[in-house]
Amino acid sequence: MRNVVLGGLLLTGIAASVPAQAQDTVRIGLVQPLTGSVAYNGKSVVEGARLAVEEMNAAGGVLGKKIELIVEDGQCTPANSVNAVEKLVQKDKVVTLVGAFCSSATAAIMPVAQKYKLPLITGVSSKASLTEQGNPYFFRAAETDALMAEAFAKILANDLKLTKVAYIGVNDDWGRGGVEEFSRDLTALGVKTVLTEYFDHGATDFFTLLTKLRAAKPDGVFVAAETQDGSILVKQIREMGLDTKVFGVGSWATADFINLTGEAAEGIHAAVPYASSMDTPRNQAFVQKYQAKYGIKPGKYGAAGYNALNIAGQAIARAGGTDAEAIRAALAKTSYEAPNGVYKFTGKGQAYGFDAVLVRIEKGEPKVIASTPVDAPH
Amino acid sequence: MDLFPQFLANGLVMGVFYALSALGLTLIFGLMRVVNFAHGEFYMLGGVSGWFVTNYLGLDFFSGLIVVAAFMAAVGWLVDRFLIERVRGQGEEPGILLTIGLSIFLVNGTLLLVGPAPMKVAGAVAEGPLFFGPIAVTKLRLLAVAVGIALIVGAHLLIRRTRLGAAMRATFQDPMAASLAGIRTGHVYAATFALGCTLAALSGMLLASIYSAQASVGGLISLKSFVVVILGGMGSFAGAIAGGLLLGVAEAMWGGYVSMGMVDVIGFVLVILILLFRPQGLFSIRTERA
Repeated sequence: MRNVVLGGLLLTGIAASVPAQAQDTVRIGLVQPLTGSVAYNGKSVVEGARLAVEEMNAAGGVLGKKIELIVEDGQCTPANSVNAVEKLVQKDKVVTLVGAFCSSATAAIMPVAQKYKLPLITGVSSKASLTEQGNPYFFRAAETDALMAEAFAKILANDLKLTKVAYIGVNDDWGRGGVEEFSRDLTALGVKTVLTEYFDHGATDFFTLLTKLRAAKPDGVFVAAETQDGSILVKQIREMGLDTKVFGVGSWATADFINLTGEAAEGIHAAVPYASSMDTPRNQAFVQKYQAKYGIKPGKYGAAGYNALNIAGQAIARAGGTDAEAIRAALAKTSYEAPNGVYKFTGKGQAYGFDAVLVRIEKGEPKVIASTPVDAPH
Repeated sequence: MDLFPQFLANGLVMGVFYALSALGLTLIFGLMRVVNFAHGEFYMLGGVSGWFVTNYLGLDFFSGLIVVAAFMAAVGWLVDRFLIERVRGQGEEPGILLTIGLSIFLVNGTLLLVGPAPMKVAGAVAEGPLFFGPIAVTKLRLLAVAVGIALIVGAHLLIRRTRLGAAMRATFQDPMAASLAGIRTGHVYAATFALGCTLAALSGMLLASIYSAQASVGGLISLKSFVVVILGGMGSFAGAIAGGLLLGVAEAMWGGYVSMGMVDVIGFVLVILILLFRPQGLFSIRTERA
């Protein structure tokens, strides 16, 4: 009896997978953290991605078919992200991969994408070394920490009159990368480093770390953290009675960060590739659509998901088919007009040409105080 | 050396928080012999429902706390009557599997209902700093410590001094004799589980007003609570307090003088040491069963 039931299940399983083989849609796989301490940011990427897919499908899709977005949870960990990619490739037969969120997770899925010879686009992971590994299938439609540091170190040092800076980052490739790049560029400008500390994802209490910060007496503190960790950290900096200037990288120019952090967010600076207050017609249209769909202004990650999916969709359309090599060749020739400038890729797959901004949070709104195009790394 | 008082203060505050969050776990294990792997999820539910009642129902913090306590007691009661009841008396493994399943259900249910975004629970008092000489704390933290101590003392008195507490202790010493003596043991089990859930949820709401509530915090809380309970001895109240304070201070000192990046290691180092040299924990009341 049990065998009959199992056989029946197997048969329905096979029957269900037959249409998948036929591929009446063009499938793109998206790996993002949907649980854990950066889940909220991962969700924003997914929202942006869905909006892009919706727009493309409304305009007729690609190759005469609709685009189907398949989302998997990578939990920001290397192991789960690899599992997610294996599933997307083996079971869903996606033609292009987008993800993952955390640099450590992206580093883990890059060789998997290469193994299956599938193009992989990340819209988020910013650790500089990812594009230095010579993986021809990898494209980064995002800034790197090095490019951000180069673009804004001088403005920060001058505007905030920095002389002694403390660096705090989340304990992973991205956080460590951000701290290294910014401390290198600021040190070159004569700013002294008084403290460097890392904390784990999901940490909630920073009083011990902040006790050390208070003793180090910096006049500025650099923070590399995402919404949840970052908002708690910034709040506790003020709770400790510290009035040092706070600046950093991460999803800070978002409505949710400001809401969670409350008054403590006033006056902090964030270097971001995107802010909803960027003043271009393309961006205003994007903000309007995003807000109509989700009831909230897009942040850095909503825009990242939107851009990555548009880049993928346009490349598939230009490739004229779902052959991975053709898509890869088309990706290399990307010239995509995003809400925040034009994205092109270098030979190593690093995006350049788009604008990055430095924002200051004033009265609960991210206000752009400096804007600069991100140059190709040299 | 001038940093020492602040590190110690940070550690003691964290210690009380750890003790409070582990209390429900040690209570349920000590009295019912159920290893509750869904403990962290009850803590999380406390924070999330705290966010709901303060944000949507517009209650102030303390009324919210009472509503959350009543709600979570009901949840705990129902979980015991409809789930734990079915595996009672079948050894510890079915209970472990059941609570692991429950924890997965609760996390994903919460993710589905409210999403993964961190949520803010409005605190009872303002968040600004208070200075005692060189030591900075916030009013909210002091309040949380005070409420935490009150809850610990209250739970202790409930178990030691009330008829319900006497019925609980009788039931768990010998269920057969207790039911012969006229105690409705089914209700006693449910009340105990409800009490454990309520304690977990109250600590969840209290701490969410200081940090933030989020659907997936439960795993880390369960882990830390297990560390506290193993350090202090399974089922011991004094042990949970000592274990919590030990963990809080050890983490603060390690983070302060060595490195913040590895601070979560310290709890497990302590657990390994305690299991090597005093496997029953610092304060275990039932060494023979530990």
